Amino acid sequence: MSGEDDSSGWQLTESDPSVFTELLKSLGVPLVVDDLYSLDSGALSTFQPIHALIFLFKWVGSSAEPSSGGQYDLEFPGFFAHQVVNNACATLAVMNAIGNIPDLPKGVQLSDLINFTVGMDPQTRGMVITSADWLREAHNALSPPSAISLEGLGLPKTTEEAYHFIVYLPYMGSVYELDGLKDSPVQHGPYEEKGEGWLAKAREVIEARIATYPPGSLEFSLLALHDDPLPTLQTSLSEAQASGNHAAVEEIMVRLANENSKRERWAFENSLRRHNYVGFIHALLSAMGKAGALDKAKEDAQAKMQERIAKRKEKGEAAMDED
Amino acid sequence: MSTEPRIAFKAGRAFRRENTNWVDPDPTKGAVILQNGEDGLLHFIWKNRTTNDSEEDLILFPSDATFAPVTQAASGRVYVLKFSSSNQRHFFWMQDADSTRDKDFVQNVNRLLLNPEELPVWFTGFPDALGTAAFEEPGTAQASSSSSSAQPAQPSQPAQPGQPGFQFTQEQLNQFQSMIESSGAGANVPPVVELSLTDVLTPANLTPLFTSHPELIQTLFPHLPPDLPSPPTPQTIQQVISSPQFRAAVRNFDQALRTGLLGGLVRGLGLPEEAGTGVEAFLRAIQDQAREGGGGDSMDTD
Repeated sequence: MSGEDDSSGWQLTESDPSVFTELLKSLGVPLVVDDLYSLDSGALSTFQPIHALIFLFKWVGSSAEPSSGGQYDLEFPGFFAHQVVNNACATLAVMNAIGNIPDLPKGVQLSDLINFTVGMDPQTRGMVITSADWLREAHNALSPPSAISLEGLGLPKTTEEAYHFIVYLPYMGSVYELDGLKDSPVQHGPYEEKGEGWLAKAREVIEARIATYPPGSLEFSLLALHDDPLPTLQTSLSEAQASGNHAAVEEIMVRLANENSKRERWAFENSLRRHNYVGFIHALLSAMGKAGALDKAKEDAQAKMQERIAKRKEKGEAAMDED
Repeated sequence: MSTEPRIAFKAGRAFRRENTNWVDPDPTKGAVILQNGEDGLLHFIWKNRTTNDSEEDLILFPSDATFAPVTQAASGRVYVLKFSSSNQRHFFWMQDADSTRDKDFVQNVNRLLLNPEELPVWFTGFPDALGTAAFEEPGTAQASSSSSSAQPAQPSQPAQPGQPGFQFTQEQLNQFQSMIESSGAGANVPPVVELSLTDVLTPANLTPLFTSHPELIQTLFPHLPPDLPSPPTPQTIQQVISSPQFRAAVRNFDQALRTGLLGGLVRGLGLPEEAGTGVEAFLRAIQDQAREGGGGDSMDTD
């Protein structure tokens, strides 16, 4: 996923639920993304109804990646776009998900973009999406401003490589896997409406997939794309208050408080993500200077650097000895 | 990173006779080559020019080694590679019949040993007194064992003195040397010990400051993100400096400073352009600014 220098102006984003949720808000979509720590029914029921699961992973093994089962559906009539720019992978996964959720409220620009791509092949659709300036700007607003552009200076890359994103969702009675790096969506078979519905089938498919990787070779996360709970909670609260159900009122208020504090934490993180810290760095160092603390901090930092160099040399010599 | 040779010159090895201070030159024709390895580190290689084998390959870390003249050697063309971290000594003697470029080679070796990112500087490509210059196309100079000297592949250098008879007087060399020294860009600039901004702006360094100098916290508020969900408090500053986003920004800025290209950007902070040339320079400039602008309180004490 790394190494592609042509980022076409798309910045690499973090793969945090707060980042995804912020993107959805800017697209005018009333959905929220949350981390899933397990696929068991308890965990899944917290966020019902779930519209899509996003599986993000980094393959750190050295042998060939195992195949994921299912069948390619070249006639898939829904929305599917190829990933044509690596850095856009998070937004592309979101598009592949929301493009297939029926009756979903959307902002005007998003509706227009999706409608414009009707009938296109996945590659063309991917290119059209990636060329949408407003979408790229919404995407880039989620990461630090590139006030200092280090692109093209040939510096060693210290940032993490992008995760790979795969969307699982129900479409016309079957569970589908949408992977922007594959030619077409993969159909994993039909599901039953009763009980957990499509999630039961998706659980099978995802667990089977995880099991095919050698232990320890896969870093992954699961995200649930679901309705924003706040409006529903507000309505329930009003109803419970109106009917004098104190137990229910208390329970709902606890849930509201938890959800709101999580959203405030997310808003804090996102505001930190968007910020240009050059002024702050300067102010901090000036404060250290005024307090007479800068010299010592400098000396300690120099000592730490020497230690690092010495350790690297040890490793270098050890490596030479092995020759 | 390119693994092209960065400096190369004809040199033989010399070995200390056991238990004595005698160093005997080995007549084998060789070359000293400094180049970046696939491991991204600087390598000091001695190559046998007869067999074409690399018989020595030393990894060099910044500021770890120097290439110094052995003053007792009568010919004046013997040098020793010595390490600050060990007793290793490697002796070499210049094998190019033409000694006028010794100084250039040695100075450039030392520049690279100090900082592998440095670009070597060559002064023997200048036109002679008659105003004619012998320029060779870069990349055509070969490290051969015949008459011309081994030359580094330096695409940015238009002058490749490989022509026999292209002499440069010692006097002219001295003139250039004093020109470099007076402009402060030469080998007489004291070596800078590397440091990273990420080790300076640590919570461990910053938190005690807020307790001992609470008035300084006020100076930081204007620089916090403007769209925080609730009004900032001193606690907010703590949270920000411990956050992964801030740490990533410091790493990013540290890397940017190392490129030496932030002159324009730092002027926007009211600092001189020189402050954008490296981490050390940046810190020095801030120190100066704090001293001048500071409200009469603490100068640097420890």
